[in-house]
Amino acid sequence: MANAAGAHHDEHHDHYPSFFSRWFCSTNHKDIGTVYMFVAMFAAIIGGGMSWYIRLELAEPGIQFIQDKQFYNVLLTAHGFLMIFFVVMPGTIGGFGNWFVPMMIGAPDMAFPRMNNISLWLLVVALLMLLISAFVEGGVGTGWTVYPPLSNSIYHPSPAVDFGILSLHLAGASSILGAINFIVTIFNMRAPGMTLHKMPLFVWSILVTAFLLVLALPVLAGGLTMLLTDRNFGTHFFDPAGGGDPILWQHLFWFFGHPEVYIIILPAFGIISQIVSTFSKKPVFGYLGMAYAMAAIGVVGFVVWAHHMYAVGLDVDTRAYFTAATMVIAVPTGVKIFSWLATMWGGSIEFKTPMLYAFGFIFLFVVGGVTGVTLANSSADLVFHDTYFVVAHFHYVMAIAAIFAMFAGWYYWIGKMSGKQYSEIWGKIQFWIFFIGVNVLFFPQHFAGLAGMPRRIPDYPDAFAGWNYVSSIGALITAVGTLLFFVILIRTYASGAKAEQNPWGVGATTLEWQVPSPAPFHTFEDQPDMSGKAPAE
Amino acid sequence: MANVRQKNAKTAVVLFSVVAGMIGLAFASVPLYRIFCQTTGLAGTPSIRSQAPEKATDIDFKVRFDANVNTELAWKFKPLQKEITLKLGEERLAFYEATNLSDKTITGSAVFNVTPLKIGQYFVKIDCFCFTEQALRPGETVQMPVSFYVDPAIYEDKNTRDVKTITLSYTFYPVKDEQKVSAVRPSATPGNKG
Repeated sequence: MANAAGAHHDEHHDHYPSFFSRWFCSTNHKDIGTVYMFVAMFAAIIGGGMSWYIRLELAEPGIQFIQDKQFYNVLLTAHGFLMIFFVVMPGTIGGFGNWFVPMMIGAPDMAFPRMNNISLWLLVVALLMLLISAFVEGGVGTGWTVYPPLSNSIYHPSPAVDFGILSLHLAGASSILGAINFIVTIFNMRAPGMTLHKMPLFVWSILVTAFLLVLALPVLAGGLTMLLTDRNFGTHFFDPAGGGDPILWQHLFWFFGHPEVYIIILPAFGIISQIVSTFSKKPVFGYLGMAYAMAAIGVVGFVVWAHHMYAVGLDVDTRAYFTAATMVIAVPTGVKIFSWLATMWGGSIEFKTPMLYAFGFIFLFVVGGVTGVTLANSSADLVFHDTYFVVAHFHYVMAIAAIFAMFAGWYYWIGKMSGKQYSEIWGKIQFWIFFIGVNVLFFPQHFAGLAGMPRRIPDYPDAFAGWNYVSSIGALITAVGTLLFFVILIRTYASGAKAEQNPWGVGATTLEWQVPSPAPFHTFEDQPDMSGKAPAE
Repeated sequence: MANVRQKNAKTAVVLFSVVAGMIGLAFASVPLYRIFCQTTGLAGTPSIRSQAPEKATDIDFKVRFDANVNTELAWKFKPLQKEITLKLGEERLAFYEATNLSDKTITGSAVFNVTPLKIGQYFVKIDCFCFTEQALRPGETVQMPVSFYVDPAIYEDKNTRDVKTITLSYTFYPVKDEQKVSAVRPSATPGNKG
């Protein structure tokens, strides 16, 4: 086989640069991917820590721990920013994307390796900027949606919000550069014979995600710039006093914000497709349908944004349109769910940890999808708007689902990335603790929300006490599961068994399993010839 | 390899122009959104026309008046009538009164909307004090007119047929950019700026 020979050839020039050049000046897609993943884990500890502190406060009615309400707002704003921009995006796109997109298409590296390095370090600076903002007079207590007038200088006069805006600008620039890099790589650097319709679904998911980033993030950047000039230079884009309109911000924000949730979940779809296929030992059912379902989700995702703003006073026809358009998204997502099930159907399923996480992902995504269809109804949403029902919905459908996909991907690929295999039994224990934890944590929030508990408030009436207590216990279980993950991670690196080239057997057909574990510093410098081979899903 | 490099650069240039285009579109959305609101009456933006229809209908309709002042503006501002009853299509004149409570000349401008928000396009202003900035000398009181009519088409739209009362609301804000004001209306700020 051409690629096995190529991999063997690669091992000859595996001389690594010195520590500083290797990790700080890296242009190697694998090393950059590794740093991205550690940045994501670092941010996850901080962002997760904030959410556990929030749940600690919410465990009982009344104010126990967080006396300063602005500090509560700062916590949940930072939790949102960290988890979206600094955990899930660097984890799935920056981490797994960088590691496996070039390998899966048989490319030697990304198209622009030095631009890749800029993307990484812009993100690190953005993260520092966001953390600094928390220590500047009062912090950013605007919610991750940064709605004016709350984010205007009247209510947030300190430079904290300006730091936050700058942080998002940098994170946005980082993501745009990364996205351009991915698109160019996928379009121009594929191995001979690796046609678009033969690419693994993970590569497809990153391709669609990169297009969403290129189209959506500049709109956020534009909106944030207007907000910045409104705050500091006397413009009135969102200030009615000068003829502006705060609702315009909501339109701009959600024109970015809705595609953003697909940016978070599409790479997760890709990871889950690889894993379900591998552990069912079957190619993915309906490969083309799966690829184009992701493209369809991406396209429709741009024309449904106002379903986040049903409460602003849209007229009835507009709401009818956004309700219908939103529900249309259930069709391609349904195609994905049923294709995963059909892939498993009749397959020789092996319940290794990544597969358990894939099952968990599908379960969580379906629960969140069902509440999503409920919320899509504009008339019903007027009641649900800004309640814990919405919190439960989006944590199920994108937040925890994306975290599950990241865990799934980590267990699936850690052997390839580190050369060490995790402990299967501890992986399974970690899955079950985490799975039970998040469900105990988020399922009761549906009930609290239906009963009318508003989000973003540190206190609540006694009537909501029961389910909030359960939810906080769930947060504790989740914390134990998270801690166990880091123990497994350290043990894997320190004393994990040596990983085989392909630990998963005949189901693992993609190109990364045809190079040794750990993957050599350089892979596929001689590109494999894929012509005449089946689609590598 | 050089070939791939050229191709990569070309694709990247296309993608960077897409990014630039989307940033441009974000800023273009500001005037586009305003035009969209004005033509569709979205978010309770009233229409502006030069003339009422020739003949009014004989259907009664109520219009209520509301006035607000931004806390940074030391004015008193109120409508001189709480509500009026008029015929659909009939042009009417209503008055608001503003008093400058400070000892400085202050320029203010009013923003306006109508509720229910969905009837914006059927509430038509012919002339209004809110179309221009208003400068009041210390202690000065002025009466400010607005002439308007309610478009009888409101009864032909199934979404607005149920509406029997419209509230017209104004909020006065101080004009922040003093320099611009004195440039536009030199007589408005006679010497005692600041």
